[in-house]
Amino acid sequence: MLDGEPLVRWHWLGDHLGYLAGLTGDHAVIALVPVLIGLLLAVPLGLACTRFPRLYQPLAAVFNVVYALPSLAVFVVLIPYTGLATRETVMVPLTCYALAVLLPTTVDGLRAVPEPVRQAATAMGYGPWHRLAAVELPAAVPYLIAGLRVAAVSSISLAAVGALVGRGGLGYLFVDGFQRTFPTPILAGIVLVALLALVCDLLLVAARRLLAPWAAEVAR
Amino acid sequence: MIRFEGAAKRHPDGTVAVRGLDLDVPAGRTTVLVGPSGCGKTTILRMVNRMVVPTGGRVLLDGTDVAELPAAQLRRGIGYVIQQAGLFPHRRVIDNVATVPRLLGWDRKRARARAAELLELVGLPPETARRYPAQLSGGQQQRVGVARALAADPPVLLMDEPFSAVDPLVRAGLQEELLRLQAELGKTVLFVTHDIEEAVRLGDRVVVLREHGEIAQLADPHTLLTAPADAGVAAFLGRDRGLRGLGLRPAADVPLAKLEPAYEDWKLTLDQDGRPEHWLRDGRPHPVPVFAPARDTLRAALDAAVLAPSGHAVAVDADGRAIGTASRAAVVAALADEGAQVNHAGR
Repeated sequence: MLDGEPLVRWHWLGDHLGYLAGLTGDHAVIALVPVLIGLLLAVPLGLACTRFPRLYQPLAAVFNVVYALPSLAVFVVLIPYTGLATRETVMVPLTCYALAVLLPTTVDGLRAVPEPVRQAATAMGYGPWHRLAAVELPAAVPYLIAGLRVAAVSSISLAAVGALVGRGGLGYLFVDGFQRTFPTPILAGIVLVALLALVCDLLLVAARRLLAPWAAEVAR
Repeated sequence: MIRFEGAAKRHPDGTVAVRGLDLDVPAGRTTVLVGPSGCGKTTILRMVNRMVVPTGGRVLLDGTDVAELPAAQLRRGIGYVIQQAGLFPHRRVIDNVATVPRLLGWDRKRARARAAELLELVGLPPETARRYPAQLSGGQQQRVGVARALAADPPVLLMDEPFSAVDPLVRAGLQEELLRLQAELGKTVLFVTHDIEEAVRLGDRVVVLREHGEIAQLADPHTLLTAPADAGVAAFLGRDRGLRGLGLRPAADVPLAKLEPAYEDWKLTLDQDGRPEHWLRDGRPHPVPVFAPARDTLRAALDAAVLAPSGHAVAVDADGRAIGTASRAAVVAALADEGAQVNHAGR
């Protein structure tokens, strides 16, 4: 940083409130829509994996490999297909990362229903689909939400990297700040990314309280 | 009534679980299937609610082939209790019990009211209703499992080793509870266990199975213990089957002697209500083994006589007050009498 440049220029923040809010909203969409899509894919894939257990290992391996790829490299590789500075360039890999986290947690959650519970449900006259909706999915909710917490926070932080391919919500503040050697937007970006992650996590904890009150009461 | 007609189960890999079973399970009674693990007893049980589909023969429930009924409808009319209870972790106890009534279309209020009745019936305090299964002990979970199976008042109850996973003391309590419930409700109970003790305790009829679901003996518990069909059954019953048979006979027939001021060196002291306190010798107190003729078995009477330091078992009434004594000789004489009568009746 340049000598004489203060760490934070408060008036810049005051002048750019609307701009910062817009970037935050943009960031939330870029980061969280992939998590949502990941969830929508993870549940049916997880169900398929519990029904056909042989599917699980290869699928998990594929997503683990994807998860291991550096995000920036993936963004760059995708540019010819999705175009520079499009949301898809960032959101496609983020969806894969979310899925890599959510698929194992979904499968774990569905498998967490003990066999006797499944059998008791069948013996009481639940058909397979009814049992899935009434017993297995509700019992998997705490696992799903635990997975969502990890996926959401990691997606919010990875989305910041997306700015390097020209698209990027709060990540743009880092690029901007570095190019102009102007620390205020960088710090604002860091704080806002952390805040967004925190708010998301708190919302998910609240969702667990609401959807799976039993998990909290049992743990007490 | 449940009737097995040549019911057989061969697995896809060719192994035979049940070769071909012919068995009538009478209505309103408890029939226990007992045998070593792998004898096919659970498979037989599951043929009734079609959790296992026979590969040969058929199973009739009140004259109807169970294969002809829609599975869900069939199962909602049959209570099913399993070893690990299998309660739904995400539902409160009351809603676990209300499951089948809800499936049958009862409204929530009525189903919960019924569930509350059943929790009381199986001896669970009302505050357990709001808990989740993981907050209960193993024995309590098993009681909830029984309540859930009974919720829609099904005429048939299938029980697959329901008490095997709890400790012996709790198990004895649950068995007693089942006997009490069954005396009250008169369900058609088909009960599976590997524990011969449990079988003779709970069964009106006991079916001893060997490999491939073949019946080695079908008898009432008393006949089973006194007259096993062959050496294999006798071996399965164990060496102390004579002693266990005493556990099926009431202690009421032991003749009681009046309380004496002293028994040779021994003196029995009572508290102010007439309950036995100590056996005294040379002023030193010893414990007093007792039995209750109105409630206990001959086995308990013999046990008390064997343990009594004075050689005299003390008989007590329902309130624990001493009503007489029985010497070892008197108890043994009662055993012999009873044995003679049973043998006679058996012929």
